[in-house]
Amino acid sequence: MSTHTGLPAKRKAPGSPPDVNANKGRRRSPTRVNPALYLFPLPAVAVIAFFLVMPTLQAFQYALTDWNGFSAAFNYVGLDNFIRAFTNDSLFTNALMNNLKFVLLVVIAQTFFSLILALLLTKNSRGSVLLRALFFFPTILSSVSVAFIWKFIYDPNFGLANAVLGGVGLEALQSSYLGNDAQALYWVAVTQVWFHAGQMMVVYIAGLQAIPRELYEAAEMDGANKWQQFKSITWPFVAPATSIVVAYTTVQSFKAFDLILGIAGNPPKQSLDILSTRIYSTFANSEFGYAAAQSIIFMAMIALVTWLQRRLLRLTPKGE
Amino acid sequence: MSQISRRQAIALLGALGFGATAAACAGPGGSTAPGGATGPAAPATGDITGKVSFAHWRGEDKVVFDELVKRFAALHNGVEVAQDISTSNDYNAQALQKLRGGSIGDAFATFRGSQFKNFTEAGIYTELKDSKAVSNYQEGLLSAGKSGESQLGLPYQVVFPMPMANVDLFDKAGADLAPKDWDSFLAMCEKLASSGVIPISWPGGDVGNGGQLFNCMIANNAPVDDMCAQIEQGKLKVTDDWFIKMLNQYKDLVPYLQPNATGTAVEPAQNLFSQGQAAMLATGSYHIAAVRGLGAQFPIELVFPNTSDGNAKYEGVYNATFILGVNSASKNQAAAAAWIDFLSEPENAAYYANETAQHVSVKDVDYTNPDLKRLSPWLDKNTALAARFQFQNLDVRNAVEASATAVISGTSPEQAAEAAQKIVDERI
Repeated sequence: MSTHTGLPAKRKAPGSPPDVNANKGRRRSPTRVNPALYLFPLPAVAVIAFFLVMPTLQAFQYALTDWNGFSAAFNYVGLDNFIRAFTNDSLFTNALMNNLKFVLLVVIAQTFFSLILALLLTKNSRGSVLLRALFFFPTILSSVSVAFIWKFIYDPNFGLANAVLGGVGLEALQSSYLGNDAQALYWVAVTQVWFHAGQMMVVYIAGLQAIPRELYEAAEMDGANKWQQFKSITWPFVAPATSIVVAYTTVQSFKAFDLILGIAGNPPKQSLDILSTRIYSTFANSEFGYAAAQSIIFMAMIALVTWLQRRLLRLTPKGE
Repeated sequence: MSQISRRQAIALLGALGFGATAAACAGPGGSTAPGGATGPAAPATGDITGKVSFAHWRGEDKVVFDELVKRFAALHNGVEVAQDISTSNDYNAQALQKLRGGSIGDAFATFRGSQFKNFTEAGIYTELKDSKAVSNYQEGLLSAGKSGESQLGLPYQVVFPMPMANVDLFDKAGADLAPKDWDSFLAMCEKLASSGVIPISWPGGDVGNGGQLFNCMIANNAPVDDMCAQIEQGKLKVTDDWFIKMLNQYKDLVPYLQPNATGTAVEPAQNLFSQGQAAMLATGSYHIAAVRGLGAQFPIELVFPNTSDGNAKYEGVYNATFILGVNSASKNQAAAAAWIDFLSEPENAAYYANETAQHVSVKDVDYTNPDLKRLSPWLDKNTALAARFQFQNLDVRNAVEASATAVISGTSPEQAAEAAQKIVDERI
């Protein structure tokens, strides 16, 4: 039985006869491993193939059909589903616009607030650690719990928001929040930022703590004020962290499915319908082929927006 | 052990990838609908034993069904019924996919309308025409479970999707519980408002519950009984005069709804009613148990918002839903059918009805629940079958109902109707 281990061969004892295979052995790369090791990732590859690659490929095929999700019969409709999404479905274009607006709001607000929090809480003092834990706390809640908490905060009759405004004499500012179509998306964006800013703060703190203190000391000696220090030292050094925060927040905001469904109900009204909830509604409406086409557009949209962000913001140096 | 070369390993991974790609290329809809060309078959017969999965959405009825399961198990040795409960929205969206394989939902329920139709088209129902259960139902209430000549499902519940009224507040205000026309309905609301209460608590922030009022508002306004089906087919338009008139009547209701009604979820709306702050809850009789659970002690009646000018065709609306069926893909159809038969016996249906405060379609049921006793006369009134469940396309339904919500938010009826019609037109 072969016992090839892939490990380097044992060193030869001094005075032993020359190995006839020595030259052959010497030609082998020192990093060469037993090819059987290539089989080790096989279970992971199989799982990814069957649960990720295959359904994704299937989605491409279904997107070209009018399949309703349960019938044996279906027709190939070419690109009709894609054309319909952009030219003859105002619910889809409404969801797309809502989603882009939501992403923009959340990315700007969440990046800003998480950076501010991180700057204020970078030091490892007891107070900072406590506050960090407090701001991080919403992250460990389930999105459905967060949705229900905020649904009741926003309730116009018994909710905390109107109660507080009423309590301090600001009745004029009381609102129906989620019931106001012009404002509803902004209120959900507030919830999303509250939910995830603490998590992004941690990413920023890790970036901030990696900046050498000497740079700030040198800048101070050169007479740089706090803003100049931030502009010339902090911001360039946290650029990789910003890249992570922006990309993660973008994807997260595109996929705020459970939060929207929890806070706005199923199906959400048009002012709160985003791409993921629209796709779900289309599936529920027994339009499987069309929903698959919408999913592909959704996937392409996330990839495009993330790529554009990285290009426009130039947050990562070339080659990284 | 024989060694594998790098080339072989890569070939193996490549084959795996090719296999996945090939499998992905298999066309959709690979399984044919059970039932075949001869139509759905009756549930298989055999021993009433083994496990039965009962899929439904009524989480609030779980305890009552648990008790019925115990009684059923006492009758049939070795049978076990497990409830598979989803929320109503999830059930509406996912039940068909979950039940097709038959691993859950040997017995199940569906909503009337698009879900029943989809289940029928997917061949999930079996034929219950000759079942023991069917003879226990009131003939007139079975239509919601019919498809052509087949009786595929048995609509178990009868609900009245009409505003519930706090009779004490009505008495105090001297308001009429049975307005004969739209003007007298508004006069009734005015009296309630003058007595210091919110006339109507309406969950406008909840699409499903907020939309129930639509059933009442459209019943006497529409020129035909299948108005929603005709809107969906393009034969009627929501920009037609009769629909605009209905939207204007929604506008009339604005002063009588709680402030910021379009942002109110169903739970706060129930609270306003159960705490006596609102005289009516514009959802339906299916919320009686919920408001009693919130502490409502007052007598409850139903009020029909009569939109007519005095010549109303209907004096209320009802819905026959929770359509029970036996799954054609079930491996234990005999026990599942026996469970449906058991639920359909008057004694067991009465237990279900009285404990959940919901009327049932089963004949000869003795209602002992005080709320059901009070509301039982509605079973004999001239009521219309709830119209919103005629919609087969949920996007169309939501768009049409959203036009009413938009009017309550302040949009003009004409603009709201135009916006809704655009969505309908895109889906015809």
